[in-house]
Amino acid sequence: METKKIMVCDDDQGILDVLEMLLETEGFGVYTEINSTNLVDQIVSKSPDLLLLDLWMPLLSGDQVLKTIRNTDPIKNLPVIVLSASVDGSDISKDAGADSFVAKPFDMDDLVQKIRSLLSN
Amino acid sequence: MNNDLAIYLQALNSTNCGVIITDNTQRDNPIIYCNKAFETITGYTTDEIIGHNCRFLQAQDRSQAEREKLRESINNGENCKVEIRNYKKNGNLFWNELFISPVKNEKGEITHFIGIQNDISDKKNAEHQLREEKHSVERKITERTKELSDKETFLSSIIQTVRESLLVLDSDYKVLSANNHFLSSFKVTLEDTLGKVLFELGNHQWDIAPLKELLTKILPTNNPVVDYEVEHHFPYIGKKVMLLNAYRIEFEGEYKDRILIAIEDITEKKELDRRKDDFLSVASHELKTPLTTIKGLVQLLQRMAPNGPTEKFISLLDKASLYVDRLNILISELLDTSKIQSGNIELHREPFDIDFLVKDTIENLSMANSAYTISLSGETKAVVNGDELQISQVINNLISNAIKYSPESDKVDIDINVVGNFVKITVTDFGMGINTEDKMKIFDRFFRANTIQKKFPGLGIGLYVSKEIINNHNGTLWVESEVGEGSTFSFTLPIMKKENHGN
Repeated sequence: METKKIMVCDDDQGILDVLEMLLETEGFGVYTEINSTNLVDQIVSKSPDLLLLDLWMPLLSGDQVLKTIRNTDPIKNLPVIVLSASVDGSDISKDAGADSFVAKPFDMDDLVQKIRSLLSN
Repeated sequence: MNNDLAIYLQALNSTNCGVIITDNTQRDNPIIYCNKAFETITGYTTDEIIGHNCRFLQAQDRSQAEREKLRESINNGENCKVEIRNYKKNGNLFWNELFISPVKNEKGEITHFIGIQNDISDKKNAEHQLREEKHSVERKITERTKELSDKETFLSSIIQTVRESLLVLDSDYKVLSANNHFLSSFKVTLEDTLGKVLFELGNHQWDIAPLKELLTKILPTNNPVVDYEVEHHFPYIGKKVMLLNAYRIEFEGEYKDRILIAIEDITEKKELDRRKDDFLSVASHELKTPLTTIKGLVQLLQRMAPNGPTEKFISLLDKASLYVDRLNILISELLDTSKIQSGNIELHREPFDIDFLVKDTIENLSMANSAYTISLSGETKAVVNGDELQISQVINNLISNAIKYSPESDKVDIDINVVGNFVKITVTDFGMGINTEDKMKIFDRFFRANTIQKKFPGLGIGLYVSKEIINNHNGTLWVESEVGEGSTFSFTLPIMKKENHGN
């Protein structure tokens, strides 16, 4: 079976590291991006199967990036899970067009289950 | 002729007026006759006074102005009428209305004086009393007037001193008075305000729909109105958030139907609350970010544990994970409390299946607390319109408390049911229970019962937040408990509709 590739975008290096380790042990290919302004280009060039996206990031917030993604033709249907520690994260991500939302700090089993379920659709 | 005299004398004795006759031709004008009435009035007998001058009636009271008048009239041989203080034989004072009239002979010489006396003490006393009463009434009126004006000054200085705007309107919403705070807060002058209809003040700046609604629609049927919030953008002073109390005077009289309005300017408080909430939102986000990494690392360690890890190893990681979760909950609770206090917690109402939510919450908690049996009884088949996440937080909180405070027990019972138009959810534990005194306070913010203070960690905001959430959903949350017998927490939520499982 082809290895599924996941793009992770978060402005916190610690979270990127943890997610990278987790997803690799789960057998996914992982790309990480700490700078949200590069994200759309990265997605277009790397064409991952799913995006894990933080909300509160400097320069360009997650919901802004997500709206751009939803309006960019080749990647508009990319499955996106928003990860955020923000209280109103759930509402913001829903409005911006996320497929799913996971609150930080997250439970790994819960996150992996959501990823697999989105990828299998 | 003798016969006639006898009749005249009898006539004189029949009158109630005292009559005396003095002989002016003799030295010192002695009394030569007095009638019966004179004896009755003065208490003297004829024999005792015949030959005396009349002045003995004045006893020691010699300084009356009327005496001068009498003397003058006698000297000039004129009629004279005086009211003079006289004294009876027993020394009692009586007021004597004395009329004297000279009797002249053919040559015009005064031979006699006739004195007619009336005891007018009663009349005098009545007059005196009347005068006294009049004085006293006048004095009282003066006192009352001063008291009233003092009170008015006092009241108006209170009204002018309070740090809140106060307005008095008549029944047509015209401003009858406005205090200094109102004038300075809203930058208006007294001249531009008094007598004007409130809604027309400042070129209709006060034509505020919610304010009109309050005065014309709400107040007439809901008097008084308390804590009515009005937000308005004034062209010159900018946005104001005002908290109003309005009271229409209902007692009969001059002030009936006047309207009192107290206005608290909470613009700054609102702004501060918002900034505090914003700050805590950022703080909670920033605290949770490294916590996410820590939790992730702990979970990775749990996953990557070497083959056949010792029980010790597993339990250490489990503990680390537990404390990370606890810290996460504390951070969330702090933010919730802050938002609830400032009234900024938003309800995202959507219809949801309450039975499913309760089951789901119980399942999650059962996994995390395998030592406890959390059993569920009853069902509602009801749909509730509310914030599912918040209600789940309440159920979670109540069950977590039930477990936390019953360390000696191993079960928690949940019951869900329909009561009237409400669902009722009951969480029963078999733990230590709550004493009566603490029962009153457990829903207070930051309250922690002394008995649990040291044994169990916590900020004391879980129940406070839960109660606020249930209140915001128009339900109630309460507790029944006996020390040593466990506790039962119940809450109700209005039902939106019943699910139709038939289809």
